[in-house]
Amino acid sequence: MAPRGGRAAAAASSGSEDEEEDAGFSRSYFLAKEKEPSSGKKRARAAAGKLSDLNLVDEQVLRASLAEIPPKHEEEVEALTRSYKDQYRNWLFELRCGFGLLMYGFGSKKRLLEDFASTTLTDFTVIVINGYLPSVNLKQVIATIAEMFWDQIKAKRKRQPGTRSQLSQPFPSQSTDDIISFLKHQTSDDVDDRVCLLIHNIDGPALRDAESQQCLAQVSLCPQVRAVASIDHVNAPLLWDKKMVHTQFRWSWYHVPTFAPYKVEGVFYPLILASGGHAQTTKTALVVLQSLTPNAQSVFRVLAEYQLANEKEEGMPVSSLYTKCRERFLVSSQVTLNSHLTEFKDHDLVKIRKHSDGQDCLRIPLGSDALEKLLQEL
Amino acid sequence: MSAPPCDAPLTAANNIQPFVVLHKAAVSSVPSSQSRRQVQTSQPSSPNPKPAKRCDDPAGEECEDDGELYEQLRIEAFHRTWSRIQATIDKVLRDINLKLFDQVLQWVKESFSSVRSITRPHHMEVQQPYPLLTDAICTRIPTAFVLTKNVEFVDDITTFRDLAGHLESNGCHIAKLSAAELSPKHGVGGCFRSLLRQLLHDVSDVADVSALASWYCEAENFDQPIIVIIDDLEQCSGDVLGELVMMLSEWVIKIPVFFVMGIATTLDAPKKLLSSEALQRLELCKLTLGSPSDRLNALVEAVLVKPCAGFCISHEVAMFLRNYFFRHDGTITSFISALKLACSKHFSMEPLSFLCIGMLEADCEEFWRDKFEALPQAIQKYASGLPSCTNSSAKNSNNSSKNMVEGLSRLLKWQKEWSSVLLCLYEVGRYDKVQLLDIFCEAINPDVQSEDASNSCMFISKVTHGNLLGVKSGSGKGFIAQVMDTIRYLPMEILLHVLEVWSIHLKGMGEINDKVKELLSTTTGADSGRATKEKWSRTSTNSIGNGTVPLNEKAAALLQDVTRKILVPVEFLPFHEIICFKNVGVLQSALIGNPRRMVQLDLLEPQTHLKCSCCRSGTAVSGSMHDTSIMCSLAQEYGDVINLHDWYIAFEGTIKSANPKAKRKVYSSPSKKKSKPTPPVEGEAMVQARFCRAATEMQISGLVRMPSKRRPDLAQRITFGP
Repeated sequence: MAPRGGRAAAAASSGSEDEEEDAGFSRSYFLAKEKEPSSGKKRARAAAGKLSDLNLVDEQVLRASLAEIPPKHEEEVEALTRSYKDQYRNWLFELRCGFGLLMYGFGSKKRLLEDFASTTLTDFTVIVINGYLPSVNLKQVIATIAEMFWDQIKAKRKRQPGTRSQLSQPFPSQSTDDIISFLKHQTSDDVDDRVCLLIHNIDGPALRDAESQQCLAQVSLCPQVRAVASIDHVNAPLLWDKKMVHTQFRWSWYHVPTFAPYKVEGVFYPLILASGGHAQTTKTALVVLQSLTPNAQSVFRVLAEYQLANEKEEGMPVSSLYTKCRERFLVSSQVTLNSHLTEFKDHDLVKIRKHSDGQDCLRIPLGSDALEKLLQEL
Repeated sequence: MSAPPCDAPLTAANNIQPFVVLHKAAVSSVPSSQSRRQVQTSQPSSPNPKPAKRCDDPAGEECEDDGELYEQLRIEAFHRTWSRIQATIDKVLRDINLKLFDQVLQWVKESFSSVRSITRPHHMEVQQPYPLLTDAICTRIPTAFVLTKNVEFVDDITTFRDLAGHLESNGCHIAKLSAAELSPKHGVGGCFRSLLRQLLHDVSDVADVSALASWYCEAENFDQPIIVIIDDLEQCSGDVLGELVMMLSEWVIKIPVFFVMGIATTLDAPKKLLSSEALQRLELCKLTLGSPSDRLNALVEAVLVKPCAGFCISHEVAMFLRNYFFRHDGTITSFISALKLACSKHFSMEPLSFLCIGMLEADCEEFWRDKFEALPQAIQKYASGLPSCTNSSAKNSNNSSKNMVEGLSRLLKWQKEWSSVLLCLYEVGRYDKVQLLDIFCEAINPDVQSEDASNSCMFISKVTHGNLLGVKSGSGKGFIAQVMDTIRYLPMEILLHVLEVWSIHLKGMGEINDKVKELLSTTTGADSGRATKEKWSRTSTNSIGNGTVPLNEKAAALLQDVTRKILVPVEFLPFHEIICFKNVGVLQSALIGNPRRMVQLDLLEPQTHLKCSCCRSGTAVSGSMHDTSIMCSLAQEYGDVINLHDWYIAFEGTIKSANPKAKRKVYSSPSKKKSKPTPPVEGEAMVQARFCRAATEMQISGLVRMPSKRRPDLAQRITFGP
């Protein structure tokens, strides 16, 4: 949406920039092409080069080193972040004009935004939403805002007797729509405080679904609420439609690269050099299995042994697993087996596939050697 | 940012809480001077705001105080200006749609009376918990399909909002259902609940029709129909809507609920969406909305040509807005939001912009004089140093107050006359399908006019060949020239009509209006007979034979004369910076963020932002660069998949090849953590950790995707070329 139009508009105002862009694109295209034929060696290596050829260190060591990475360009990054301080007043101005601020550019913007909030947004109550976390409960957030407003309304009403309260039940037990419609009706006459929602990574994994974005868009439309958000993903604008962009969020974009490391934002991403090895999966599987009951472990063992014995097959049919387990007195009914299987599925210990003859098959997503190792350690 | 107060609340716990209240509002009241003071005391080290920055005198404290005061003034000015513009926009759009609204209202009234003519249920009857039994034919819900003709739905939101307002002010009960509510997730129950919530004040948990019935038979509600507006029919779930229709149709005699549905595509849409059974329960009526370009023309006239609030835009900004409309998405909504952003940027960046609202004052000169005299010395100095004043020939700086007040008064007068003349041009142009926005853009183009001034005897457009940045008609001439051509060939009766409209537009511009009247009076008598005979073609050539100068030529000459004298672009006038927004770059970057391009540029050319001494500028990759920059540059050499092994080897090679001396310098920065003396930086583990972190950062930016289980050695590259 926006980027394409932006390009069109940019082309109108400055043709030269566009040409430059084209040149850049073709340059990288030819670079890529050039590489391919010229280096048969490289091509061969691309086919052969495997992660396992590298001497990869253990994940724990890797994580320990991660914390010790010496910062590069520390002073420059600091100076760059500081240079945005001059714009704080302008940002506040726009916020007061009714716009939302959307910050993008490479580097963590968490510190920048929180510094902006704590030095400049003193007239606002600032609520920080950490969108980079794997799960965020937005309903709690809006209920918090609503409760805050509600307290203020009550305080006001005390001063002006005669008005009665409309809300009888507490906010958390109401539906999200009800809370939002309550928030929408609060104007500066009703409540004193203005709230600024500071959303780190509005494009984060927890907020990426349409429902969360709708909810945020509606909240930022409320008269007493403003939004300041950051995005990091290059495709983040695709989260919003025209209505959200122009009438709800009313974004004013700012390009503020900070080059600051994504320390907290990156915590929940798997490490690229640690995910490939089977050791990791075996280890996690072991941890999960050890936390299960001995019976469940035995059921898993039955499945694993079957898989090792019949590597060629697509998996073990559920019915034969049930029969085997009954024989060994591991389960008494299909229901108990199913509860074990649910547990396995939830932790990605087994996958279910449809067999070619139509029945469900179970398969452990591990290679034979990894599986053997797992059985030994279990 | 090294100052720790901001870091204090940022403990580790805060980082993993889904949400945190960072702080409460400092002073709970409307931003008064008291709270502004508070802001200051809490951040003594903050840099001066923009206007204060301009004053370099040592009284910094006072300066900052003034800065805050004037910032507040500018915010107020923005709100006043924009609310004025918004009101104008609302009015224009409402007026354009008024015809349709009246049709809808008419239809509502007719439908209501026809429903009531079948039977008029008693209050008691309505409340009984079952539908009224009549013939099947009477259980059809009157439904109006409004064809919006917009591909983008976003413009229709305001239309339907206005429609709701219009119907409500005429006594109807209104409820709106959005496509989100008419979804399988909410089901018909949720949808009905939402309907109740809009009509009733207290909604019980159990939503049923009897609640609606008992509300409806209250005396004040009883004599009006309930209109349910569904603005975006195509997006609704057919099943849910069908169910709602079936449910309400049984009650329509008791509770007259009518539908108004917006359709963006064609009349086929409801047939595809609803079951035939549900469709049979609807009694249809089709209505159509005006087109977006009509609306744009009306908006341009009301907001840009006649600046309703003093605020205006420069040629570059106008061109940007025009392209934004025609090339971006063609919605009025995005046009308006762009204009609003321009307006806020103007008031945020221009220290003197608060004077803009003087244009709205009854006695503007006095307002400006008062305000100017109260201005601190530094800002006064700034005012007389505005580029437009230093350029102008009349540069007598001894009385800057008088200068500015005069300048602004001239601007005010200019705005009125300028818009009148432009509308005269458009009046002619509309017979040749010239868009108002195009004429507007050409008329405020300073390049056209400056060249014109040097060749004053020539027509404006002849000189401007190729200089119009894309505003050109098919013939390669400017729009104003096209208008001049058009007027020469206008048939007499149309010309007379045009002249009459001119005299309305030019009211208050004494001399010129007299000339128009003169034209009208001299020719109406003489040409009245001929006017009927004249055809659309070649009026002028016919009449040249008679030896008299034809009316068309006279009108053209007059128009040309007026155009040259009065149609001066705002950017030539002194003090125009105060009311005119010019910074198209700022507007563009705020309106259209382009993360896809910018994030890649950040990474590929980090020096432009970091300005470090250790890395070479240019595209060469060096080990001292930011790790993620190195990775991103290396990734450019791959196709859509990146072999992790190779990538790692290349990364390792790059960082190890870096000049060790330079590296030491970077690492031993004074504020380094005291944990350990330098750990074995080049150790295998460290390189791998750096590689991992850089890859994660690229993943967060959406530049690469993790290797899949099936191809564990290959990462996927997502973006190609900035």
